[in-house]
Amino acid sequence: MTSVPDDVPEAAGRRFQSGAFTSGLTVPDFAACLQMGLEPVGYVQGFCVMQWGWYGAGSPYLRGTTPYGGTHGQYSESWRCPHGYVSADHRTWGQNYEQAWVENAWGQGFGTAYTRMIEEATSIGAHGVIGLVDTTASLGEMGVLEFHVRGTAVKVSGGPPPPDGRPWTTYLAGQRLAKLVEAGYMPISIAAAVSSIRVWAYCVTEYLMEGRAYSWGAQVNGAEIDQVAKAHMAARQVAREHVRAQLHGDSLHGAAIVVSERELSEGDQVVECTLRGNRVRRFKDFDPLARPRPTLRLS
Amino acid sequence: MLRAAQSLGKPGSFGGPSTTSDLSIDEELVLHTIGWEPVELVTGVSIYSVPAGVWNWGSGEIVSASSAHLQAFAGAVKRIHAECARVGGHGVVGVEVERSVTRHHITVELTGTAVRPVADTASSKRYPVFVSDLPAKDFTLLETAGWRPLGLAYGASFIYAPRRSAGTAIQQKGQNIELTNYTEAMYSARELAMERMQEVAIALKGTGVVDVKVTEGPMHFARHAIGFTTWGTVVALTADHHRTIEPVVLVALDDASAAFDASSLRG
Repeated sequence: MTSVPDDVPEAAGRRFQSGAFTSGLTVPDFAACLQMGLEPVGYVQGFCVMQWGWYGAGSPYLRGTTPYGGTHGQYSESWRCPHGYVSADHRTWGQNYEQAWVENAWGQGFGTAYTRMIEEATSIGAHGVIGLVDTTASLGEMGVLEFHVRGTAVKVSGGPPPPDGRPWTTYLAGQRLAKLVEAGYMPISIAAAVSSIRVWAYCVTEYLMEGRAYSWGAQVNGAEIDQVAKAHMAARQVAREHVRAQLHGDSLHGAAIVVSERELSEGDQVVECTLRGNRVRRFKDFDPLARPRPTLRLS
Repeated sequence: MLRAAQSLGKPGSFGGPSTTSDLSIDEELVLHTIGWEPVELVTGVSIYSVPAGVWNWGSGEIVSASSAHLQAFAGAVKRIHAECARVGGHGVVGVEVERSVTRHHITVELTGTAVRPVADTASSKRYPVFVSDLPAKDFTLLETAGWRPLGLAYGASFIYAPRRSAGTAIQQKGQNIELTNYTEAMYSARELAMERMQEVAIALKGTGVVDVKVTEGPMHFARHAIGFTTWGTVVALTADHHRTIEPVVLVALDDASAAFDASSLRG
């Protein structure tokens, strides 16, 4: 058995040494895993509670502070007002930009919880962790988030330990995992990332979001709200690129994409996209099953 | 599993291109059976402004709202189509359609997986890139029968339900009576939206539209305005003739009813 890493709580280390295994698998998934030659060795978990500091006083969300401060990501796009000087509160510029500090903080919380779970799995000599579940929950206080990652650590009967000592992971378990392997893919790890796009609306976006036509230029009734549409597209594309950066040439399977938007003031908003899935690697040639035979069930 | 686990320690020779997909493992396996594979998770989003005041009382169709919905749908389809073409996909399957209609703007968001034939033959490039909300299983079945999706067709219409006169409203109070102003508005909205969807299908040179979805009803922010929206996948026969699928008939022999029902003892 691998030595227990320092970061695993002492009580957890003792519990894992006790002999009886724990597992988050359902009975059908448990049966399917035994059939595949996977032995559960322990239900492993990792937690991390993060304070999200950017909502408080001095937050870059407050209009009037420069949008050009802070760490930006790669995506940035700007718009200029077509009207010239109108008034002091007229929004003469608009910008969409990637909030790298939000993405990094999410990555730190999720990554820390994940790493702690992996350390627990490593401490009990696991080869992999299956049936992963990850949740993010607000702890009630403003801007405090809990990241919780858990799954069932397994050993491959008669199999070698992972080459780098780090267990492979997957959201799949049971029959779905069996079918993944049947399709010729070996799970490598889960992959997850968030993207955060800040929209500083310029005058035209503000008017269009309120259904107003602006009167100094062309009629814009029924026009596309270009700045917000581009923010939505960018949020999805940036999240995909972040996950792609974790794949190292492997593929992402069974991806789940969740997009949320939060309006901060008229036209100003944040669009966030969370993308997660299974990083898999092909271990045999493309070998499709025979064409399925359609069936009609009479009952 | 053992072979898969052992492969981790060996240099890979089955790499192939790196892909992303939101297909389930069942969907991917069924796509493999017809020689197709996922390429990339692709999306398309468009948001159109609805001018202020259009939801107030009026008569006839709320043209600017109907137009905004059609334009938002067309814009989102155009973007997901462009993403698919950029990554070398031949089409997008399992497109999830999310829409929101608010007083001032209409949003259409599309997410799906770009797919392509594993063997990129000349015949497989004969058809234009398609966008379809059919799941991979249905796409496989369609392909097996000699058909092919051509794209998404969509239609929408928002109509004012005409106001009843004060006299009519008083007269009808307390009666069980059909509110024909609402019924007629629903029929009008339905006809315009369905017609627009069929126009898109004809423009795509499709034979028909399958798996048509419909949403209808009054707007939550303007109860006197009726909205009808619809979308589905345009299909066309691409084989010489329709290939009849002859399913194997299964009859379950297990007895569905319990031989002994303990609850019967309770009287």
